[in-house]
Amino acid sequence: MVQFVVDVLIRAVDLALIAIGLSSVYSLIRFPNVALVQYATTGALLALCLQMAGLPLVVAAIAACALVGIIAVVLNVIVFERLLRAGSAIAMIGSLALSMMFSAIFLVTAGPRPKRFELEINPPLRFLGARLTEHQLMSVGISALAIIVFALILFRTDLGRCMRATATNSVLASATGIDTRKVTNTVVFLSGVMAALGGIGLSVKGEMSAQLGLDMLLPVFAAAILGGLGNALGAAVGAVVIAAAETMVTNVNFGPLFGASVLFIPAAYATAASFLLLVVVLLIKPYGLFVSEVKRV
Amino acid sequence: MIRVNNVRAGYGDGPDILQGIDLTASGGEIVTILGPNGCGKSTLLKCIAGFVRPRGGAVEMEGRDVSAVAVHDKVKHHRMGFVPQTDNVFSTLTVADNVLLGARHLPVPERNERYAELMAQYPSLASKQERKASALSGGERQILSLARALISTPKVLLLDEPSAGLSPLMMHEVFAAIAAIRDRTGMCIVMVEQNAFEALSVADRAYVLSLGKVAIEGRAADLLADPAMRHLYLGGEPPPAEPHPRLAAVS
Repeated sequence: MVQFVVDVLIRAVDLALIAIGLSSVYSLIRFPNVALVQYATTGALLALCLQMAGLPLVVAAIAACALVGIIAVVLNVIVFERLLRAGSAIAMIGSLALSMMFSAIFLVTAGPRPKRFELEINPPLRFLGARLTEHQLMSVGISALAIIVFALILFRTDLGRCMRATATNSVLASATGIDTRKVTNTVVFLSGVMAALGGIGLSVKGEMSAQLGLDMLLPVFAAAILGGLGNALGAAVGAVVIAAAETMVTNVNFGPLFGASVLFIPAAYATAASFLLLVVVLLIKPYGLFVSEVKRV
Repeated sequence: MIRVNNVRAGYGDGPDILQGIDLTASGGEIVTILGPNGCGKSTLLKCIAGFVRPRGGAVEMEGRDVSAVAVHDKVKHHRMGFVPQTDNVFSTLTVADNVLLGARHLPVPERNERYAELMAQYPSLASKQERKASALSGGERQILSLARALISTPKVLLLDEPSAGLSPLMMHEVFAAIAAIRDRTGMCIVMVEQNAFEALSVADRAYVLSLGKVAIEGRAADLLADPAMRHLYLGGEPPPAEPHPRLAAVS
């Protein structure tokens, strides 16, 4: 059971980081930015390059996150702000096109083979019978800290109040003296940073490939929608639910239920299980789990 | 305080909604903008606030051309307050957060002092400071919206149909509060209103728009006493046999 919880947490934190970014940006500019998952790959790729250039992993990760944040803002200003003038659907299609362009660039620059960070390999740690590596522990800790910091910004700072005000009513926010464009670009920067951190976290625990972003696309959207699209902390809870469903499929031995000693569901069904869960929840709560609690952001 | 010079404005590629409007409003007076639906009242207010950029002419505040200044900059640097017609509170935030958001650019001691003053002025808000704004009644929301705009001690206050959706009793309270603000602060208040009788009762001057142009302007008391005006906008007795030529144009 402890191992199950640990595995869920390991999977959930990275999903949550990207899903929070997706949901936060959606709450402000009202379109789901598909390219956000590619910011995760960009972050991992940049961190890998910087590490190969001789920087320690932590410094490389911080620099990569900051760079991705800046890339996210630049793309928002020169691409998405213009596309949004034509409507949310156009902006979403534009983000899908941009996502495909990112994929092509990753394939050309990094190649099709998966890559790994240079990390020391240590024996796994044991915690109440569960096993996890030092890198997994560090990654989970940093990601969880990032989520807590984001929540504190959202609910305990002036910027957070401005974010929530702009998400609730951007016209009124302007009339209250809030520079809504600046607030939006700050959130876009934060979403880029968190997506990059999620991508680095995933790559540290496994490997980094040009497909990383596209592989994350469906679970991240499922988590954001499940939590109530536009509700950042709801997205974090959605990520835990999706991670639990995926881990249930891949890690739990269903043998005893069917009179067999060993019966595992093939890992290929993991995504299907999370989407089955999503459909069931949406049939009961069509706007996600938490949309009525904290309407947006 | 506010001068609107020959302003033309519209939305997107559409025709001009405002077709050369002139308007002035000074400190210590309430100017109300009246007229039938679609005449351009709210567009004129949005133009003054900065939500709609004029296609021609100019909007001046204290002698400066602010036609191209963004709304949030007008709030911060030109001390303008704006209360929209609907969705005028942040429903997901508490009453206290709603009010304090309006004073983000003030130093903390001044912000706290102003907040305490407003809570003393509006006891109905003081007792609900930690409640979400979504839990307030229509009248309380309107008062909250006024408090949010007033906390930064604006020189100019723009109100878009402050009585919209309110019961007659609440409407009376809101208009009394607006008159009290003028008397207490000497603020310049420009108010768009459908409820012409109540608006003229508290206003000093009025502009009546028709088809994007100013059809009538004058002292509120004079318009309120004018039988033709009463007939056209206030549901009063029929007009005289030969109405004022400008009123004839409106009708």
